[in-house]
Order: sequence, then structure tokens, then C-alpha cells
Amino acid sequence: MVKEATVDSNKVEINSPPTGMQVVFREFRKDRLAMFSLISLVLVIVGVFIWAWLIDQEALMRVSLRDKYAEPGEKFFLGADLGGKDILGQLVIGARNSIAIAIAITIITVTFGIIVGLVCGYFGGWIDNMFMRIIDFFITIPSLMVIIVFVTIIPKYTVKEFILIMSLFLWTSTARLVRSKALSESRRDYVNASKTMGTPGILIIFKEIMPNLSSILIVELTLSFAGNVGIETGLSYLGFGLPPQTPSLGTLVSYANNPLVLQEKWWVWIPAAIFILLMMLGINYVGQALRRSADAKQRLG
Amino acid sequence: MNKKLWGLLALLLAFMLVLAACSSDGEETTGTDDGTKTEEATPEEGTEEGTEGEAEEPVAEDSDALFPLAIENDGEAISGGTLKVALSKDEPFQGIFSYVLYEDAYDDEIMKYASNSLFETDGDFLLTDEGIASIEVDQDNNKVLVKIREGVKWSDGEPLKIEDLIQPYLIIGHKDYTGVRYDVDFQNIIGAVEYHDGKADTISGLKKIDETTLEMSFNKLSPAIFSGGDGLWTYAEPSHMIKDIPIAELVESDAVRKNPVTLGAFKIDKIVPGESVQLVANEHFWKGKPKLDGVLVKVVPTSSISVALKQGEYDVAISFNASKMEEIKDADNMDVLGRQELYYSYLGFKLGKYDYENNVVVTDIEGSKTGDVKLRQAMGYALDVEQVAEVFYNNLRERANSLIPPVFASFYDASLEGYTYDPDKAAALLDEAGFKDVDGDGIREDKAGKPLEIKFATMAGDDIAEDITQFYLQNWKDVGLNVTLTTGRTIEFNSFYDKVQADDPEIDIFMAAWGTGTNPSPAGLYSKTAEYNFSRYSSDFLEETLTNIDSPKAFDADYRAKEFRAWQEYMVEQAPIIPTMYRYELVPVNKRVKNWSIDYTNESHSNLQDVELVSDTGVKSSK
Amino acid sequence: MWKIIVRRVLIMIPQLFVLSLLIFILAKQLPGDPFTGLLTPDTDPNRIEELRELAGLNDPWYVQYVNWIGNAAQGDFGKSYTYKIKVSTLIGEKALNTFWLSLVSAIILYLIAIPLGVLAGRYQDTIFDKIIVFYSFVTYAIPTFVLALIFLFIFGYQLHWFPTVGSVDVKYDPGTAGYFWSKLYHMLLPAITTAILGTTSVIQYLRSEIIDAKSLDYVRTARSKGIPVNKVYSRHIFRNSLLPIAAFLGFTITGLLVGSIFIETIFGYPGMGQLFISSLLSRDYSVITALVMLFGLLALLGSLLSDIIMSIVDPRIRIE
Repeated sequence: MVKEATVDSNKVEINSPPTGMQVVFREFRKDRLAMFSLISLVLVIVGVFIWAWLIDQEALMRVSLRDKYAEPGEKFFLGADLGGKDILGQLVIGARNSIAIAIAITIITVTFGIIVGLVCGYFGGWIDNMFMRIIDFFITIPSLMVIIVFVTIIPKYTVKEFILIMSLFLWTSTARLVRSKALSESRRDYVNASKTMGTPGILIIFKEIMPNLSSILIVELTLSFAGNVGIETGLSYLGFGLPPQTPSLGTLVSYANNPLVLQEKWWVWIPAAIFILLMMLGINYVGQALRRSADAKQRLG
Repeated sequence: MNKKLWGLLALLLAFMLVLAACSSDGEETTGTDDGTKTEEATPEEGTEEGTEGEAEEPVAEDSDALFPLAIENDGEAISGGTLKVALSKDEPFQGIFSYVLYEDAYDDEIMKYASNSLFETDGDFLLTDEGIASIEVDQDNNKVLVKIREGVKWSDGEPLKIEDLIQPYLIIGHKDYTGVRYDVDFQNIIGAVEYHDGKADTISGLKKIDETTLEMSFNKLSPAIFSGGDGLWTYAEPSHMIKDIPIAELVESDAVRKNPVTLGAFKIDKIVPGESVQLVANEHFWKGKPKLDGVLVKVVPTSSISVALKQGEYDVAISFNASKMEEIKDADNMDVLGRQELYYSYLGFKLGKYDYENNVVVTDIEGSKTGDVKLRQAMGYALDVEQVAEVFYNNLRERANSLIPPVFASFYDASLEGYTYDPDKAAALLDEAGFKDVDGDGIREDKAGKPLEIKFATMAGDDIAEDITQFYLQNWKDVGLNVTLTTGRTIEFNSFYDKVQADDPEIDIFMAAWGTGTNPSPAGLYSKTAEYNFSRYSSDFLEETLTNIDSPKAFDADYRAKEFRAWQEYMVEQAPIIPTMYRYELVPVNKRVKNWSIDYTNESHSNLQDVELVSDTGVKSSK
Repeated sequence: MWKIIVRRVLIMIPQLFVLSLLIFILAKQLPGDPFTGLLTPDTDPNRIEELRELAGLNDPWYVQYVNWIGNAAQGDFGKSYTYKIKVSTLIGEKALNTFWLSLVSAIILYLIAIPLGVLAGRYQDTIFDKIIVFYSFVTYAIPTFVLALIFLFIFGYQLHWFPTVGSVDVKYDPGTAGYFWSKLYHMLLPAITTAILGTTSVIQYLRSEIIDAKSLDYVRTARSKGIPVNKVYSRHIFRNSLLPIAAFLGFTITGLLVGSIFIETIFGYPGMGQLFISSLLSRDYSVITALVMLFGLLALLGSLLSDIIMSIVDPRIRIE
């Protein structure tokens, strides 16, 4: 997801005379927190993927009744859950799964949403009308409910199905948001000026309107990452989450539904909750720096 | 950056504080497993469970003293007071307060406080003479006389009449009735079918002899009549209130939804649909006006029920999930009563198909993957049910040895060994039967040396269910059997039964449970014609035994018990269905309640007039 | 504008129609049916089959659909299979509960989020801002039910400030003042919980809008004309920054309606969300379809509301 944003800002900067990637670098060097967040994020994500790859999932998910709710200690660094399964291992695999899911959903929905939103907002007319009717229809659908119904219907329910179902319903809000913003941007003078100068529409969209939308997009990106984890957690809580043999951050946190776990066996769910929080903060700080580099007026250096 | 870290730490600290504030004790949680052998278990009660114990039941023995069946409480009673009952569930209750119409067990739980029940039952759930009505069975002529006590009144003061006994039959038998109770049993009453088809205005088999006697004629009678089966209906309906309401509209009428007239100790006063019911003492109750002023029944979500109980918010909790025992085990403000339920869970093997055209079970031993009886037995021995019961259910479930729950003391065969965990025996049986690991991968192949994959269907549930499923799969793998889940995961309740009922070819074995009801007759679940015979197993011997159990000869209790035993032994031996666990029902009761019993023979629900409270508010747990 | 609104409402009809077809087919795909749950050894399978036939569940789906949509068009959504009463009566009770809960939540949400968002944006990069941003992420990262349970245990059970279950105390009769207050009282804790957790997006958007606005020409012009900072914020920036928030108002409310599933389950608050889950589990087709249709309608109205508000706040955008 971070990558995706960088690519976009690159596109923006390629034609603009001075810097390009350098701006981004300079921005990060100025903002040590963002730098730190970026490095940590990259390290954590890469680390989680490698570590998860090293874990023998079958051994990890082996139920060992005698270790029920084992406390953090020598045998299990972060304790064990109800089935005596190591929390740390589940956290790593869960984080890998959740990050992969979130990245996939975010890439699909945001790309689709931005394209549709920008095109609609800029061109208006029948294109806008058509897409808006489609989006309107999607908005009619109470997504959470239909997702739950879908999950109940499909016989094989795995990460892949989950990503597709979620993406199907989530792209519309991004599209709508971008459109409303693009609509007001494209009425502005600078766009009109470009138009009279004969600049092609595509260029105006990506070169001129897009940067002005970037701040709102970055907020959207950050939120949609955590939002996806949130929805997954919620679905797990209601009993419509991923299969239990696929650990995810959501499943881990949803164990807190049990008051005993919530109050006394904190090690089962707190690590996952904190992990989600730290991921979100990290993405946010990186996002802010990226936004500044895309928006000359806010640059620190 | 340091500031950020401090911020995080502060947040964590705040989090912990919040948690600590609502957590009662964080420390004393080690050694959870043996914690449930509560000291509060007072063995002096347990009339019925005691009889089981005497029968040398190997598994149930040590659990007899686990929970008391009743509490008495020496404190001095206050006058009046309201008993607060928590109904632990996550959905609204349905609120159909009529015994002929309700479908949801929770409505039944609420109605128990304002019951229309005519009979009381003994330890085997056989009807006694202690209740409002009693029966006399004329076995030779297939007739039953139902007699009611004189002077029994409805909660609105109207006397109970024979018409009130006939009314429920007229509702159930009516063509507009859309409930499940118009069934084969009901059609056993002479004239019921004619009435249903509109050929008669009344049911000819029901005759009012005098003001207190009803004569019923049946096509045939079996011992089930003493359990309230064979078509006998054991509740009254207030005919003076409902006889003029069209049957089709009855379920939506106020007489059912808002202000039902009842015979029980309390009567319904106010209802918030789906949420709570306020009942007040019924001055006309035939056993005398209750000492309490009223009862308040509320739906409490399962996620907060244990906290609510610890805070003394409720006096009695209904449908309290046994897996929550751990959450309240330290509480000192309540007694936890426990009794065995009419329930067993089982492992079933698909041994045939149901022919829905001819309504008959077609057993096909040869064509089933688990056709070999030794394989089935081995799969039973391989399961470490004992450990699951102990660790996951804190001994609130126990290994079952028979398809009759021990509660039916006279029919239950305690001497059966059942399938106790014995992986060596399982392995030996498999070797003997020719399931050997040919290619050396640790997984056994079938007799012909081909890979053997057994498809296992099981229901989704809470996280416990998921972990248990994994554990069982491991158990089987340990003896070298490759068992996989039918759809790759546990199956949601509805699709599970859809698939099991349709004999889905993807299912070789399955795990499910039956609540048996108070009529122990196994014919409905295991006979050749029963759709519910999910293993699709039938044999001549089995059919014969099942017929014998419900035959007229079986009015002789000893003969019936003997046939029950023969049936249980046969089922264990053939293992088309292996019972896995019996379940305990737990009822936490606050210390302010005086006289509460869940003993099947002497339930508080039938003697609510004697229940009292010893303080105005519920006792809080000090821990 | 009225003409446009009427047109939008008319467009809703085909949309709802497509939705009805979709949800009807989906609902029929659900494994099992309302009678599967009646399976006990005491029930007669033949009787269950008979009831299925009576209920028309053995007809082909399009026959069932035509029957259903015909009745639904006349406002008759049939009877609930489990609750045995008219779907409209059943949902009516719950829908009002959920609606009021969402409204109260929305009010509290904006009362918290708008000041925080404005403050964070205005005092960007101060410790103030950082705390607010941090708060908004913490609340976002905490799953609804965790905070809800913690609040319930502390404020409900420990401190007894709020009732712990239900939507109203059984002792009051409908229509009385006591009944009304009791309802509101039961609503507060779930509403506050929802509001606290829902602030993130409003705070974030408001904050970034204000930061952006700071550097825009009209603000600079205003500042350079010597207009006091406070006035610039209240007159110019605030108004412009509310645009995306306004755009989301309708959605926020519908989002709260749908999100009520979690809150209602935890607080035992009988609303539409709780009803949806329970009817899905019991395969109560008539209730499932009616609820989805209702939510769909509300979502449409919400989006219309958003557009209307947007065109009022920002006259440059006309609703089409």
C-alpha cells in the first residue's frame, strides 16, 4: 500500500522539473519520526513475512490441551490460547495474513476507486452518471449484511474469497469521496486554465488534480488498512470470520469476546491489538510525510 | 521519538488500569484445570444422581458430588420480593406463551413460572398423581382416563374445566394449525385425522365423562403413554379465553402474546417484547399463593452474564453455558447447581442412505468407507474424549458410554464399557482389520492398500468447538488415520444438518448431538423408517429390539428395561453411532435465594410457591 | 431542487428492485431453511415436510419471488417464520430502537469529533494535535466489542451508572414520560461507546482539510487583510472544511445503523442488527429480506441527504 502511494507520487513528480524521488527522500530526512516509522514498517513487514515463512503452521496449530491458557514464560514467549497454541507464532502468521489481506484489498479498492472517482469527477456527463448509478446501487447494498450472507453461502471460504468479497463492496466509498473532491477541484481556475491551454484530460487528472487530492487519499489509505483489519475482527467476533485454522489479527483480538480472556488472559488479545495500533500509527506518519512531499506548500524542507 | 514511546507506555498503562478495574482477580488463575472441583459441592442432596452412583457407573462416579442439586439457605426470609431470572442468550426471545404454539425452548423457560402443566413427573419422567391431573390407563381397550383435581383455578379466577383439557387438542388437530405438534403421535388419538381433514367438528376419541374426568381413546397404546407420549397432551389451555379466536390468528393474539391466562404460581404482568417479562404472584395458584411478590425474567447477553451474576444482578441464570463456569468459579455470592442433561453427543458413521421415496433406511455396509466394525470401534477408542471433557469443559461433560443418558435411571445401562480412550487398542483393532501403513508415511491405507481418507463433518460453534475438532483430528492421526474435514472447515448448523440429512457423499463420519426429551424411546432416532436415523444403520435384530421396547408387552417395566439394555449393548457393539459425551446443565443461584432445586424429581419450578429470598438485593461477590 | 429530489427518489425504485432480486436469491442460497432448526427427536420429519410445503418453500424460487415481491409492493412483507408475527410489526419495534440509538450516537459523535478535528488541524504538529491524532487511532484500533465490554463492566455493572441490558425497563407503560426517559437512559451507554469509536474518520478528514485550507489563497488573502485568526477559522476555513464531513453525514448515519450489529449484541439492545443476525441463523427468510431492503432504503436516503447537504454547504456543486 505504501508502495502504491509512492508510485503515484512518482508519476506526479516525473514531469515536474526539479526533484522527483529526491523530494520524498528530503522530506523523510527532515522528519525523523516518519523515517523511523518507514524503516520500522518495512522491517516489520519483511520480518513478519520471513518469520511466518519459517514457521511450521501445522505444528503451530496443533492443539495441546495441557497448555490451555499457558501464561507468557519460557515455553511460550507470549503465552498460549485456549487450545494451548502459541500466541507469538499465531501473531506472526496472523500479522502476515492480515497485512497481505489488507494490502490486497487496499490496492484493489483504492486503485479502482481513484480511477473511477477521478474520471467521473473530471469528465462529468454521462460517464459520471453511469458510474454514479452503479455506485449508488452498491451503496444501497448494506455491505456488512450481504458480506455475512455471502460468507454463509460460499462453501469454501478462504483468504482469497475474503479479499474478493470485501473488495467488491469497499471500492465505492473511495470512488465517491474522490469524485466529490475532484468535482470541486475541476471547477477551479487552474484546471480551467490548463484546459484552455489544451492540456489532455488524462494529464490534467494525474498531474494537476491528483496531487491536490493526495492528502485526502492518504487519510483514506491509512484508514482503509485499519478498517479492513477492523471489519475482519468484527466478522470474527460475530462468527463469520476467516476459518480458525487461518490465524489472523482479527481472530486473535476477537478472543477478547470472552470476558475471561478480556480480563485475565490478556496475552491472548492485547499483543494483536497493539500490533494493529502500531501499524496504523506507522502508516499514518509515513503517510503524512508522503503527503507533504506531494504538496509543495507543506514541505518541511 | 522518546516522547512517543512514553505516550505508548502511558496508553498501555491506562489500558491495564482499565482492565484491572473491571477484572476481579488477575492472579489466582493458575491451575485452572483442577479449580472446578468446587468445595461447595454438598453431597447430601442428589437423590437421583445417587441412584446412578449406586449402579457403579465408572465415569459418572466421581462427578456425582460435583454439584449440588438444591440449596436451602438458613437465612431469615424477607416477605415478598422479586426473583430476578437471567435468560442467558444473545437474541431476543420469541414470546409465544402457549404450549401448543411455542417453538423456542426459551419461551418454555419463561412459561415455567406460569406453567399450564397438568402433570408432575418422577425420576424417569413418568407421570405421577401429584399434579393437577392424573391418568388411569386401560391397556386392553386402548383407553386413558384423565382426572383433574377439584377447585383448581386459572389465574383470572375461572375454574379449570375438562373443556380446557380438550382445547389444546382442538388447536393442534385443526387444519389451520401450523405448528410441529400435529404428528404421528397425535394422529394416534381416535378421530384426530377426521377432525384435521374437516370431516368432524370435534375429536371423537375425546369424551367428557363428568366435570373432572376426560376419557381418551387411542388406536394403540405403548409404555410411552406414561411419559406423556402416544398423543397424550400434558398441558391445559384456557378455553374461556381462546376458544373464539380463529386458530390461524391465535399465535398473534394478545391471549398468547401479552396476557396469557395460566395455571402456574405466577402470572404474566408486563412484557417488553424480546427483552423482559414481569410476572406477579398468582393468588389462585392451586398449591397456595407464592411467598414471592413476583419474578422478573430478562435476556442477558452471554458476553456479560458472568459479570452480571458476580454483581448479584440476578438470582438465577437459565441456559448458563458450562464453558463460562471458569468465569464464575471464584465468586462467593452464588451456589452453582448442576444436573445431568437429557443429552448426548455422538460420533456417527454413514453406513447407508435414506430412501426418501419409500421412507426407509437402506443400509449398505459394504459400500461405506467405515463399513468395517473394527474400524468404527478403533475410531471410538482413538478419541481422547476424557481429556476434552476435563480440560475444555472442566469436567462439566463426561465420556458417554451409552445412547441413553444416565438420568433415565431405570433404562440406562451403567455396566457398559463404552469407548474409553485407548489408542493402543485402536491401533491393534486397525491392524487386526487389515488397515496397515503400507507405504510407511505414518498413515494407514485401507485393506486393499489404497490410501484411505475419511471425511469428517462437524458443526461450527464457539472457539472451543474449533479447537476440539482439531484435537480429534490429531487423535485419529495419532493412530494413523487420515481424517479430514468435509468442507475443509467446521460447518454451520443449518448446512450441517442439510448435508447429513441428504446423505452427502462427502460425509463418511459426523459428530452431532441429540437432546433426547423425556420420552426415552429410541425408535424415532434409530428405527428403519426414521429419517433421523442419520447413520442409516439398520438390522433385523435392531428393528426387533426397538419394536419390543414400545410393544404392549413392555408395559412390564422389567421387560422394557431388559430390552433397553439389549439395545444399548447392541449399539455399542456394532458402533454405528458412538456416544461421546454427556453434558451437565449448570444453574447459578444467588445466595439470597432460599429453597431452590433443579432436581428432576423435585424441581423448584413445580413448587415455586415455596421459594423465598433472604435479602432485598442480590449478594455481590467479594472477589 | 425539489424536482431533482423527486427524480432521485424515483430512481430509487429500480435500485431497490434489483436489490430485492439479489437478496432474495442470496437468501434462498443459504443452506437449510426455517424448519431445519426444529429438528429434535420429538418432532415428526413428515410434519416438518408438510409445513415446508404449506409455507411454499418447495416452489421454484421465481414463483416464491413473484409472490413475495407482489405482496411486498403492497407493504406486506409476510410473517416471520420464527417469531410468527408480521414482519412489519417485528421490524417496526426494533427499527425504532436502532434508529434512535444511531441518531443519539451520531449527535454525540459529532459533538466529540468536530471540536477535536478543528483543534488538531488548527494547532497542527503541537502536542495537542499529536494527542488527538493518537486518540483517534487508538479508538480505531480498539475493536468495538472490547471497548463496549469494558464500558459495560465498569459503568454498567461496577458503578451502576447505566442500565446493563435491554432497551427499556419493563415497569413503565409505553407512552408515559417514564417510558421515554427509560428508553433514552438505556440508549446512552451504547451510544457513547459507538460515538467514541466512530470519531476517527471525522477527526482525520477535518484535520487534514483544515491543514490544507490554511495554505489556500482565500485564507491567505483573508489573513493579509488583517482579519483576526479566530474569525478566519470560524468564517472561512471551518465552512469549507465541513464539506467532506457533510458529504459523509448521511453515510455516517447509515454506517451507524449497520454498525449497530456489534453494539446491540453486546448490550442486549434489541434492534435491527441483533435481529438480522438471529434471523440469519434461523433462516428466517422473510425477516432477512425485509431487513436488507430496509437498510438499502435507508442507505439511499442517507446518500440523498448527503448530496442535499453538500449542495447547501458548497453551492458550486449542484445535485444531479
